Amino acid sequence: MNQTSSWERLRSNRNWLGFWFMLPAAAFLLLFLVYPLGLGIWLSFTDSRIGTPGEYVGVENYEWIIEDPKFQTAVFFTILYTLVASAIKFAVGLYLAVLLNQSMPLKALIRALVLIPFIVPTVLSAVAFWWIFDPQFSIISWSLKHLGLIDHNINFLGDVVNARASVIFANIWRGVPFIAISLLAGLQTVPASLYEAATLDGASRWQMFRRITYPLLTPIVAVVMTFSVLFTFTDFQLIKVLTNGGPAGSTELMATMSYNTAILGSRIGEGAAVSTAMVPFLLAAIMFSWFGLQRRRWQQGESND
Amino acid sequence: MTERKFTRRDALKAGGALAGAGALQAAHLAAFAQAWAQSNQWKPEKGAKLQLLRWKRFVQSEEDGFMALVAAFTKATGVPVSVLNESLDDVQPKASVAANTGQGPDIFWGLYSLPHLFPTKCVDVSDVAEYLGKKYGGWDNAAQIYGKSKGRWIDIPVGYNGNVINYRKSMIEKAGFKEIPKDTAGFNELMKALKAKGTPGGFALGRASGDGNAWVHWALWAHGGNLVDAKDKVIINSPETVKALEYAKELSTHFVPGTASWNDSFNNKAFLSGEISLTNNGVSIYAAAKAGAGKDPKMKEIMEDMDHSLWPVGPVGKPTEFHICYPMLAMKYSKFPQACKAFMAFTMEADNYNKWLEASVAYITHPLAAYDANPVWKSDPKLSIVKDCGRRTLTAGGLGSVGEKAASALADFVVLDMFASVCTDRASAKDAIAVAERQARRIYR
Amino acid sequence: MTDHSEGMSYLSTLPRRLVTLYLPLSIIVIVLLFPFYWMAVTAVKPKEHLLDLESHNPYWTLSPTLEHIHALLFETDYPLWLWNTMFIAVAATVLSLAASVLAAYAITRIRYRGAHWVGGAIFLAYLVPPSILFIPLATVVYQYGLFDTPFALILTYPTVLIPFSTWLLMGYFKTIPYELEECALIDGASRWQILRRIVVPLAIPGLISSAIFCLTLCWNEFIYALTFINTTDKKTVPVAILAAFTDGDQYRWGSLMAGALVGSLPLVILYAFFVEHYVSAMTGAVKE
Repeated sequence: MNQTSSWERLRSNRNWLGFWFMLPAAAFLLLFLVYPLGLGIWLSFTDSRIGTPGEYVGVENYEWIIEDPKFQTAVFFTILYTLVASAIKFAVGLYLAVLLNQSMPLKALIRALVLIPFIVPTVLSAVAFWWIFDPQFSIISWSLKHLGLIDHNINFLGDVVNARASVIFANIWRGVPFIAISLLAGLQTVPASLYEAATLDGASRWQMFRRITYPLLTPIVAVVMTFSVLFTFTDFQLIKVLTNGGPAGSTELMATMSYNTAILGSRIGEGAAVSTAMVPFLLAAIMFSWFGLQRRRWQQGESND
Repeated sequence: MTERKFTRRDALKAGGALAGAGALQAAHLAAFAQAWAQSNQWKPEKGAKLQLLRWKRFVQSEEDGFMALVAAFTKATGVPVSVLNESLDDVQPKASVAANTGQGPDIFWGLYSLPHLFPTKCVDVSDVAEYLGKKYGGWDNAAQIYGKSKGRWIDIPVGYNGNVINYRKSMIEKAGFKEIPKDTAGFNELMKALKAKGTPGGFALGRASGDGNAWVHWALWAHGGNLVDAKDKVIINSPETVKALEYAKELSTHFVPGTASWNDSFNNKAFLSGEISLTNNGVSIYAAAKAGAGKDPKMKEIMEDMDHSLWPVGPVGKPTEFHICYPMLAMKYSKFPQACKAFMAFTMEADNYNKWLEASVAYITHPLAAYDANPVWKSDPKLSIVKDCGRRTLTAGGLGSVGEKAASALADFVVLDMFASVCTDRASAKDAIAVAERQARRIYR
Repeated sequence: MTDHSEGMSYLSTLPRRLVTLYLPLSIIVIVLLFPFYWMAVTAVKPKEHLLDLESHNPYWTLSPTLEHIHALLFETDYPLWLWNTMFIAVAATVLSLAASVLAAYAITRIRYRGAHWVGGAIFLAYLVPPSILFIPLATVVYQYGLFDTPFALILTYPTVLIPFSTWLLMGYFKTIPYELEECALIDGASRWQILRRIVVPLAIPGLISSAIFCLTLCWNEFIYALTFINTTDKKTVPVAILAAFTDGDQYRWGSLMAGALVGSLPLVILYAFFVEHYVSAMTGAVKE
């Protein structure tokens, strides 16, 4: 039938339709993300302060922060925090997912319970942890003292190494459920027939895991870990409540540093520079897993969808 | 107008304004307020309503007293005032965002040099300040420094909070001392002895914007060190600073462990549970002990056993205390600047301010000389020590200007982090000073 | 989605399962749940016992009290904050889901020019986390006249929610057989009708799981809520609780923890009902 009007052809034209369908999402992102982002990047090239708009100063903010020992410490710790926490979250999350994938009584209940750290609002569980890590009243110190294993309270958040370990632990605690449940979903897409065939061939559990489970999981792992790395790198609430960057800036993350500089120190331009400096790292993380993901798909023989 | 003295001492003894006393205060205030509204020179705009953002109260009775004052203002002028409370550390960010976006509460009541972060956005209140100064015996020195920017008043320094040594009498006696030593060397000996007896003290080394800043600045200035000089030139890199750091390091070895993670609430917690014998704080610990003394024998014991003392004097030879100032400012974007000014004036008038001072049981200290006569200073000998803290305090920025740069330096914890790095062995004195110097140079350029 | 957990389990004996399954699982579950348990105990412990670890065991309380919960519910605006948080979370979730459904459909089915790249570009939204954006965003929110209104949050949260739910729904839509749509197209249905009548009903599990994730993120959000809302009775639960129970330098731990517990309850109930959906929907999403 050749009598479709140009309006009807337009309506079913893919690009036209695509445009309209994408519009709501695009509108949100443009208005409330892209525009402020541009504004933020612009600010990082000015000497803007709270109350005064500031003038263009080129890369002066960046020159300053690159040589600032406190900034260098923040970058170092942000990377350390992200790598260590993500690696452990992945390992524990995967292990937990494998455990949860097996049949057991009360399976649904346990899966629900495991999600609880993810559900409790971060700032409130951070306050709870703050007290669990209290220098004088920690329940952990109390328990260990009563068991006779230590003789004085542990200085969780006042000693540099302990503070770093404690915040990393809190982050892991918070993040494991999300990773575990997502990986669990992935595990459940592996058909049982593959395992049966492998068992008939005499494969051990470990071999099955390495050769069947893990390769099939790789795509979901890539996506979940990308999200996890992004969220960990840009973490703010946990550190702000637990240590606010202390002691002496050793647990400062780039996100908390940018807030403290811009809002508390009222140097907006410099704070914007600190936060913009996070972007290259995040970009690298996304590029890495996106291209890793592409490669994986190709290996599986699917079309590049 | 004559000052009317308020003589309900039982209200004070109970540790604050009880509901009954509060109601009586309100009635009393209302009568005065009507008269005041007639003669007040800042007539509020028609249809005015104000939003005021303040730091969350440390002492319940202080807040009750303040709210009674607000209610009286509304009754007198017909201007409703809604009061928002934010935690101390959040007031500055909120004010900064409001200043930046031109929208938000009309009046901000914050700390130290908050108004100096955006002096051009604050309403000029010189007329109010001059009126109050003339009427009530003059502003003390620190108030004038905090209040004025380039010769004009940009805020009214409504009060101070005295930060003093809080200690347990029985514990220092057991350590062999009858009172807190008046010099820094003796003070170190006291701390050493307290630790030896198993009852250590502790000062905050974490990012405690109130207590932490108070003690490290005391230590720095007491030894002659300074972040900047009178011309705002950075002079932190000096032998005096090194001496101050060495003193603090020695002192910190006698602290209870864990102070590097303390913010402002930790020392209260530790003191009230008997874990430490000595710390620095406002009178809020004492107020909390008093409030709980009725129900809890432990609190009663602490209330009776504790006392306050002024800071020891260092080698520099004179007191170098650093108390908090609470300035009240009005934003230029407010649609009702006259109403704001009227409120500020109303707050500082004798009939209102006196009652509020008493309700706050010495948590607030006055900046105007006439209020020396307020009965709260005679009500409890343990409290009278903070009466003069407005006169004794040095200002944020030390020798330098009280402005944006001083506020920035405080907010960035330049001095506090320097002390914390040395006391936690993260850096040598030389390196810590270098970092602080670099940061300060940037802020003060 | 079928659950393959039964799998090869007949091969494991009970003692073996005890060591390789139940023991590690118990340890992990205890570690994950302990802070929550501790929060619950603190919420009902009398104030005097909280700091006195010598005479009162911190692990439990022998004289539970409801005073903290009472203070929470009746002496503060807590019910109001709860309502604010729920309203904002639901509204933001609905908006995000609507936008994500359309976007996911467009990318996976309509396949307009450049759709593939757009799909990737959406993730770039996560390059800009709230902790960076909130200063310029405060200015923007003011310019649009939204400051100190719930819409400041309802309209800004989708920027965080849309990328993830789009991804989730993209994966889910791909599992819906294309033949169904092909038939409808041949019959002359418009894309919009197909979306409404075929795709969306089939994707309900995916929508549910995405909704759960979105609600959780909204509930948890802190920095925008702290910055954009000033008036106490418009605040959300995390922000308001923290401010309400810290009196300057005293923290009222009992009520704080009570607030944490009660503040998490709505989500916990939601998850209790829908966690299986969540898991199975994730499964659908990850199948590529």
